Amino acid sequence: MSMTVIQGAFELGLIFAIMSVGIFVSFRILNIPDLTIDGSYTLGCAVSAIFAVNGKPVLGVICALLAGALAGCVTGLLQTKLKVQAILAGILTMTGLYSINLHIMGDKPNLSLFGMDTIFSYFSFLPEKLVYLVVVAAILLVVVVILYLFLKTQMGMSLRATGDNEDMVKASSINSDAMKILGLAIANSLVSLAGAIIAQYQSFSDVSGGIGMMVVGLASIIVGETLFGRRSLLIGFISVIVGAILYRFILTIAIWIGLPASDLKLLSTVLVILAIIVPVVKDAIMKRRERNA
Amino acid sequence: MLDLTNVSITFHKNTVNERKALDQVSLHLDSGDFVTVIGSNGAGKSTLLNAISGSYEIDKGKIVLDDKDLSYLKEFKRAKYIGRLFQDPLKGTAPNMTIEENLGLAYSRGRRRGLSMGIKKADEKLFREKLSQLGLGLEDRMKTKVGLLSGGQRQALTLMMATIVTPSLLLLDEHTAALDPKTAAQVMNITDEIVKENNITTMMITHNIENALEYGNKTIVMSQGKIVLELSGERRKNMTMEQLMELYSNTAHETFSDKMLL
Ligand SMILES: Nc1ncnc2c1ncn2[C@@H]1O[C@H](COP(=O)(O)OP(=O)(O)OP(=O)(O)O)[C@@H](O)[C@H]1O
Ligand SMILES: [Mg+2]
Repeated sequence: MSMTVIQGAFELGLIFAIMSVGIFVSFRILNIPDLTIDGSYTLGCAVSAIFAVNGKPVLGVICALLAGALAGCVTGLLQTKLKVQAILAGILTMTGLYSINLHIMGDKPNLSLFGMDTIFSYFSFLPEKLVYLVVVAAILLVVVVILYLFLKTQMGMSLRATGDNEDMVKASSINSDAMKILGLAIANSLVSLAGAIIAQYQSFSDVSGGIGMMVVGLASIIVGETLFGRRSLLIGFISVIVGAILYRFILTIAIWIGLPASDLKLLSTVLVILAIIVPVVKDAIMKRRERNA
Repeated sequence: MLDLTNVSITFHKNTVNERKALDQVSLHLDSGDFVTVIGSNGAGKSTLLNAISGSYEIDKGKIVLDDKDLSYLKEFKRAKYIGRLFQDPLKGTAPNMTIEENLGLAYSRGRRRGLSMGIKKADEKLFREKLSQLGLGLEDRMKTKVGLLSGGQRQALTLMMATIVTPSLLLLDEHTAALDPKTAAQVMNITDEIVKENNITTMMITHNIENALEYGNKTIVMSQGKIVLELSGERRKNMTMEQLMELYSNTAHETFSDKMLL
């Protein structure tokens, strides 16, 4: 495997780490299975691409972040104020977003950004080989530090408690509905941010690019947790990031040994299932051994 | 001061399962009153507390606490004034957060939760002091996740959380029922101390008749969604457990379940 391929996998791993951190917020911290993800990822791609086409790549990334937050709010409002089940609320928003994303991209299923300025163009003073790596790593670092600090504030603690024990939260005079909406907004803004960066990284946006992103994020979270276990918040973030990078390497190796790209989604699903059943099987074997000993 | 006027709740209205859980309940408590609530299973005790705390919406009636009309206020808004403990020790704390984070959340009750740090240095000292009052050694485990504590320890912590900002009203729903007898007695003593020290108006549901007479200054007996007996003053002081049970069975035409004898 060439150095370029390895570096490419690493860069993609870092970008998907941003998305996975977002999914970590909804799935693990808020304890909500949010399926908006697939839609908000593409939303980020679409917004970022259309702004880049019009010569405003940075503004595109910022608007993608906000658009993702808005999508999260919609799902959150459906869940809390209209009492729609979590899974259904996510599916509704995701499905609606499909049309919206198409419109954003000028009713075209894909957009090419070849030759256009991207956020990476602003960093041409860096050694050419390192531009992508440095920019992506810096964004990830900023995102994680801000998120970590936020989760230690009073509001952030209220958000974490909402996912941990809603009864307790209501009894402590915290508006748990508001916390859910806020958490889903944060989660989807990060997912959308990752989509925005990917579009400019690959100079390409595809209206079906988000399909299966929920599973990609879950795979990263679960791969990380098999290595690190579930401990403190900080270790949780580190584990998600390592998981996302590892996951990307597994896919790269799979392609390298000849797996067709069309089978990658199947591989992702199998990986998630494996990561879930391994501990269960291990446990069962241990118990049987103890019994027979 | 708490005033309930004709509070009613009916579950599954207009179905065969229709059930009047609260039937025109009225009750007046003065500030600092500590009332114990008894009654057989299904009498409506928990429903009464849930109606006051806002967990259940009432159909009719009025709930006024210290001149504030709570009748149709959202649960989390009422929680500004009301501290609560449930029978299940797992319900009152966030298991994946540390002891100090749980206390930090409780300590900001009733205030806006903004972007200032969740736990400040000055708070830490106060939390330590408060925890040492419990005498369970929790003050040395501030960074421990609450999920690792025993039920009794969690319940004691929940009690601390419910009262760290003195509430206008404290609601206890069989909060010692899931604990072993020794721990239950310990938590009950701490409860009494905190309530007395801060003069908190308190309602405590219990199936322990002895506790019902020993603690507090009033006792109410519930049956089929109604308050059927209110005891206070001399009458309560001279009441024995046997008499209370007899009185109860005469009023409600029911006998105590075995659980109540315990
Ligand atoms: N959420 C609910 N939905 C439907 N019915 C309910 C609900 N909560 C309580 N009830 C019914 O209301 C009645 C009173 O219940 P409640 O829980 O208040 O009794 P309780 O006095 O607390 O009993 P226990 O001593 O067993 O805790 C019961 O008949 C119960 O079945
Ligand atoms: Mg009850």
